[in-house]
Amino acid sequence: MKNLSIGNLLRRPEAGAFLGLVTVVVFFLIFGGLSFLKPAGIASWLNVAANIGIIAIPVGLLMIAGELDISIGSMIPAGSMIVAIMSGHYDLPMWISVIAVLGFGAVVGAINGFLVVRTAVPSLIVTLGTLFAVAGLVLGLSVLITGTTSVAIKAPAFYKAIFGQFIGGTYQVLILWWIAFAAIYIFFVHFSKYGNWIFAIGGDRESARNAGIPTTKVTITLFMLSASSAAFVGMCQALLFNSAQVSAGMSYIFNVIISVVVGGVLLTGGFGSVIGIIFGTITLAVVTQGIYFTSFDRNWSSLIIGVMLLLAVLMNNTFRQMALNYSPKKK
Amino acid sequence: MKTIKGLLATVAVSAICATSASAADIAIIGGKSDDAFFAKIARGIDDATLVVEAHGGSVNYLQLQTYDNIGGDAANLVRIAISQGVDIIAVPNWVPDAQDEAIQAAMDAGIPVILYNAGGGDKAEELGAINYIGNEEYPAGLAGGEYFASHGATNVICVNTVPGAGNLEDRCRGIADGMAASGFTSEQLPLPASSFGDPTAVAEAIKATLLGDESIDGVFVISSADADAAFIAMQQAGKTETVALGSFDMNVAGLERIRDGEQLFAIDQQPWLQGFLAVTLADGYVNYGLAMATTPLLTGPGIVDLSNIDATLKGGELGYR
Repeated sequence: MKNLSIGNLLRRPEAGAFLGLVTVVVFFLIFGGLSFLKPAGIASWLNVAANIGIIAIPVGLLMIAGELDISIGSMIPAGSMIVAIMSGHYDLPMWISVIAVLGFGAVVGAINGFLVVRTAVPSLIVTLGTLFAVAGLVLGLSVLITGTTSVAIKAPAFYKAIFGQFIGGTYQVLILWWIAFAAIYIFFVHFSKYGNWIFAIGGDRESARNAGIPTTKVTITLFMLSASSAAFVGMCQALLFNSAQVSAGMSYIFNVIISVVVGGVLLTGGFGSVIGIIFGTITLAVVTQGIYFTSFDRNWSSLIIGVMLLLAVLMNNTFRQMALNYSPKKK
Repeated sequence: MKTIKGLLATVAVSAICATSASAADIAIIGGKSDDAFFAKIARGIDDATLVVEAHGGSVNYLQLQTYDNIGGDAANLVRIAISQGVDIIAVPNWVPDAQDEAIQAAMDAGIPVILYNAGGGDKAEELGAINYIGNEEYPAGLAGGEYFASHGATNVICVNTVPGAGNLEDRCRGIADGMAASGFTSEQLPLPASSFGDPTAVAEAIKATLLGDESIDGVFVISSADADAAFIAMQQAGKTETVALGSFDMNVAGLERIRDGEQLFAIDQQPWLQGFLAVTLADGYVNYGLAMATTPLLTGPGIVDLSNIDATLKGGELGYR
């Protein structure tokens, strides 16, 4: 790395997100005590961060490319219900269910991407339609097949170990999956040409296409990644908690977008980084779980969450302004 | 300078507080903060917290944010409580499949568990929990179904706005069996959990069902807010004369409807008692080893109808019933 100085580190896109994270952690250390950073306390927010994080990275990449995907809100319960109905209700072998979950995610993502690139409809509207369509499909099929909206599933030991175990009794194995996915994404986005393509599309789609970037393929691929990631998380949740619920994912839409924005990605696209998204996810997890370690009156917890998030985003903005306006001193 | 001194002082004080030998540190897990039913449980918890704090302990009320993934979220909250090193955990066992593992992990970590509001006495014994405080859902539903049948209803729909929660599914099952005992029918109308707390969505769904099936002459709802929505649905469908309304739990509006003859009955599980007893018994157990000789401790079901409405209404207006 050339020019490794404090100044250069502060001008990286992740700097604002990182300092926002440090601020909220210090806040909750002061008001919540040290148990927040003990191994068991770390698990409380790391588990939440992993669940959101696996979905936040591809959604963040889509936002960098200038698109929005809110259908993840019903892809999560879709993944849970598919694995629960196929392996819990019908007793099919687990590997068939895993393939079905990922395949369903890929199909819905492809539909999203195809509709976005072929029609002039904004991605927000397309994925809104998919959100409701998949939600209705899941609810209707689950009541039709099982008669209830909550299905139990007991995973065989091997699959429980890779998708649904609590390491050491407290850490969800999803954390390891999150780290693995993050490493792959960081390589492809920041150390290969594909990442440049995503940033170019986010900057100006037409210029990117004129420069020879296959914009439709990239967009459709990103939508498929985000839908499959959401279905994957849903499947892991069903195996972790031995049961699947039909409505389990709606709050994730907000949480994922907040993580991405707090992580430094602009809502208008073209700017951001995967490491920033990771920091943003951890910040959100710390803010929503840290409340439980403090002695604040619980009725004010939403207020505190809102204020903390505003502070984190303001810090991001300040650092981005500083970075973009920097010019080296003339010697 | 002042702020830094202030910060250091706060850190020092909280460090000292953390290390002093404290009495019972209780973690109690409950429903959403804007859930009217859990507001009464929260009232009971607040009243009991006075005693806990007088003994030098503390109560940490961990609330769910949404009911979308009620089992998984509750299991996560149990694990958070374990990570805080509390002395005892009080938790409702809404989805045993999802929560039993977490409760077992708490007990393996040496933290006793007391069940309240959902789970039942059998589940408490099976897990090794100290006690169960609350309602037995199935007998409550059964009593409700029999009450409906004995008051002339022949086809009752049971509206479930948090499907997947075991205790609520048992209520509807109880209604169905209570009606079946007299040869009548009852069906469950499950609505997605995202409509919990959305009176318009619930009212529209019930209205559509009533208009679509003329033979329905009874509506049973699982919460007091849903009862308000159901009554609006019945008014809009023009069925207030032909359809009887029964609800689980009640609020002031519901009690006034019972008094005015617009609602047939409500099944009461005395939520204030659930919250109060859960915290008080937890405190007594940790500090002095006290435990009730009877398990489970049933706070319901009691039927509130025209015969006992006056005293109940008074308690309801004070926020205790």
